[in-house]
Amino acid sequence: MKVKIKQWNAVAQWRWDTGNKDAADDEEGDVCGICRVPFEGCCPSCKVPGDDCPLIWGECSHVFHMHCLLKWIGTAASKQQCPMDRRPWATAERRVDANAPPTT
Amino acid sequence: MTHNGLRFQVASKWQDSFRRFNQREPGISGLIAFSQAWDTATEFLKPRNINEPLPPREYTEAVRAALDVIHKSRRLPTLIETFLSQVESQFYLIQQEIDQFMIDYALDLDVCVISTMILRIHEWMKQWTPATELGSAFQTVYINFFQTHLFSILPDSFSSAFQDFVASTLPPEEEGEAQKQDPQIWFTFDALGLNDRFDSLIASVGYEHIERHVLETCTGQWGEPMLTPTRDWMTTKIVPWMLYVYGRNARTAEEARAILAGVGSRFDFHMAKTLCDLRTREIFDIIIDFPDSTGALQDLKECLQRVDQRAALVQSLRQAHRKRLLHPGADTKLILSQYVATIKCLRIIDPPGVLLFKVADPIRRYLRDRPDTIRSIVANLVGDDDSGDALVDETEPPRPLQAADIEDYSDPNWEPEPIDAGPDFRANKPSDIISTLVSIYDSKDFFVKELQVLLAQRLLAAGDDQSDKVEKERRNIEILKIRFGEAALQVCEVMLKDMTDSKRIDQHIQSQQASVIHPAIISKHFWPALESSEIVMPGQLKELQDQYMAEFTKFKPDKKLRWLTHLGTVNVELELEDRVIEALVSPLEAAVIELFSEQSEWTLDGISKRLGLPQPNILSKAISTWLDLGVLAPAGEGVYRVLEVSADQGAEAKDHVSRPATTVEVEMPPVVSVQQQQAEQMRVYWKFIEGMLTNLGALPLDRIQTMLKFAPGYDRTITQLAGFMEAARREDLVTVRDGMWKLNK
Repeated sequence: MKVKIKQWNAVAQWRWDTGNKDAADDEEGDVCGICRVPFEGCCPSCKVPGDDCPLIWGECSHVFHMHCLLKWIGTAASKQQCPMDRRPWATAERRVDANAPPTT
Repeated sequence: MTHNGLRFQVASKWQDSFRRFNQREPGISGLIAFSQAWDTATEFLKPRNINEPLPPREYTEAVRAALDVIHKSRRLPTLIETFLSQVESQFYLIQQEIDQFMIDYALDLDVCVISTMILRIHEWMKQWTPATELGSAFQTVYINFFQTHLFSILPDSFSSAFQDFVASTLPPEEEGEAQKQDPQIWFTFDALGLNDRFDSLIASVGYEHIERHVLETCTGQWGEPMLTPTRDWMTTKIVPWMLYVYGRNARTAEEARAILAGVGSRFDFHMAKTLCDLRTREIFDIIIDFPDSTGALQDLKECLQRVDQRAALVQSLRQAHRKRLLHPGADTKLILSQYVATIKCLRIIDPPGVLLFKVADPIRRYLRDRPDTIRSIVANLVGDDDSGDALVDETEPPRPLQAADIEDYSDPNWEPEPIDAGPDFRANKPSDIISTLVSIYDSKDFFVKELQVLLAQRLLAAGDDQSDKVEKERRNIEILKIRFGEAALQVCEVMLKDMTDSKRIDQHIQSQQASVIHPAIISKHFWPALESSEIVMPGQLKELQDQYMAEFTKFKPDKKLRWLTHLGTVNVELELEDRVIEALVSPLEAAVIELFSEQSEWTLDGISKRLGLPQPNILSKAISTWLDLGVLAPAGEGVYRVLEVSADQGAEAKDHVSRPATTVEVEMPPVVSVQQQQAEQMRVYWKFIEGMLTNLGALPLDRIQTMLKFAPGYDRTITQLAGFMEAARREDLVTVRDGMWKLNK
């Protein structure tokens, strides 16, 4: 018997590739360290998730909603530091290396 | 002394009387003259049997002189008394005739007998009437006496016979047949005093006639208002009759109108009451027939203004609802549409909404207890109803939900509540149907959640013609946004956007590398919880997924895809040795058949291990699909095998012709319902409860609730918590004693 797939209307969920291997299997997924909303959700100032509310990767391996982080960096109290580890914030080129240690 | 005095007194009286009778005539000649005059007068007045031939009574000079003499002697009262006693003694003649007439009537029930009888009695009466020259006082006394006597001898059967007779005088229903009325008969009645005595009887005949007419012409006639035609009928048929009965003495039209005004309004009231009672009895079916029954509603409205039957209407409708609507046998959709129709109907009858409030309350309470009410309302809102009769009028412009607001007493147009309003009545309730439906529940959140679930099902079930369907859904959501507010439906917006984005992404990926797989890529947190599954796709299905995923990652480098393998549909074509079968199946079914293409025989265990499927019951369903299609056949316990050659050539061939493209019924995607979701969320809070019971020992329910309120996102009521705790108790996780909950260790 030969099976030929003519058409397949599938359903899939998207998720950010945060480079976190463990998180890939985690049901809940990671949340943004600033707004505590899952990365796949959107930051409090957005209404639509995904490309309209992208993530930002820091050199320090921490990931946030871009809007959340920019807002934080925009405040004087931030001193341009990553809110997680207080290292000076530097945006990573595109994303952290896949082999980087897990981030939270 | 006394003795003498008395004697003197009597003697003088005697002398007086004697002188009066004698009229100062010599000797006793005066007395003789009086005696003669008395004889003449009594002979003249004597009531005679009219059946015997008699010379006509003449008021001659002699009679006049005789009466004069009597009058002068002041004996007229005695004359009248004598005359009346004579009448009394002669009354047996009339009684005999009446008895005979009544026997005749009893035989054939011919109302003519009654009219003849009445005319005959009148004849007697006229015959015995003292001449007018005797003065009206004499006549009046006679008439009263005659009537009193007549009533006393009329048998019991007369009233019903009279009723029949009066009924026969009513104009018949058919046109043209109109019996020629003899107004004379009514004058006769009047002369005999029958009208006054049988007034209520006559009126009741009229009432019955009206009642019968209303019931005959109006029952089940709901299309047109019947009140006006019935009033017209009253004018053409009943009013002329009333003219005979009541208005015969009127000389001018003006006078007749004045006489008829009172009695006419009584009849009109009765007509309105009959119609009102009828419509009250029919109200439930009238509402079912709405809007074809607008006429009946108009009638009812007008009648209710005339007749105070509002309480009866509410009573009747509530009873009908209890009996015919609010029971387990009725579909929720049906109850809803009846409720909506009730709202519309009662608003016509009673714009302030007092009736509606009283009637609606039991329905609303009942609906609140039904588990699928929200779903039905929402399904109807999004036009998911197959029945076609949407609760909402398409033409009605959507309005934002109105909340029942508190009365504004500073409003210059404020009006007090209607007098029969109940204690909880709110005059300014939302008038919009949807608002009313939504207000059955305390919060509109339920609706939004259910709406989300429904939308998810519909979007995921959408097949090839997605864009059309998505557009339709978008339109729906836009309308609903007006009602529920933009913010509440934001989630639905994202769901729709996911669908259009998926299409765009798919177009791009297809242009890079054509694939038969077209996934809908959804944003996890914006869709209702979808059951997750761990099916591992075999063979080419897996390849398709992987290829697509690779392309996707190229297009969107920072995103990954996670397949929800149990959702969606697959169109497969099976090439067997002797036949080709095309089928639209679920991905799981496709996966199963894919396995069989690798190897022609599989055990159930083997399949479930290969697909990573823990529950074999889902699997057996997938297999039975293929068994039904004649692709697989059982080969021993839990073992299945491909039928390369059809088991029954002939039957299969026929089957094939009749079903060129077999489609398997695609079920609604298994979206987790709101209740399940809530239970799921509650599990999260279980950790909190467990913690607090461990640390603090036993706690009462309200204490647990208070503490849980500190937990983020906790929005349960204490009742829900109680339900949850009860469930936990059933699972032996906790025990309860005296309202204190304790962990079970």
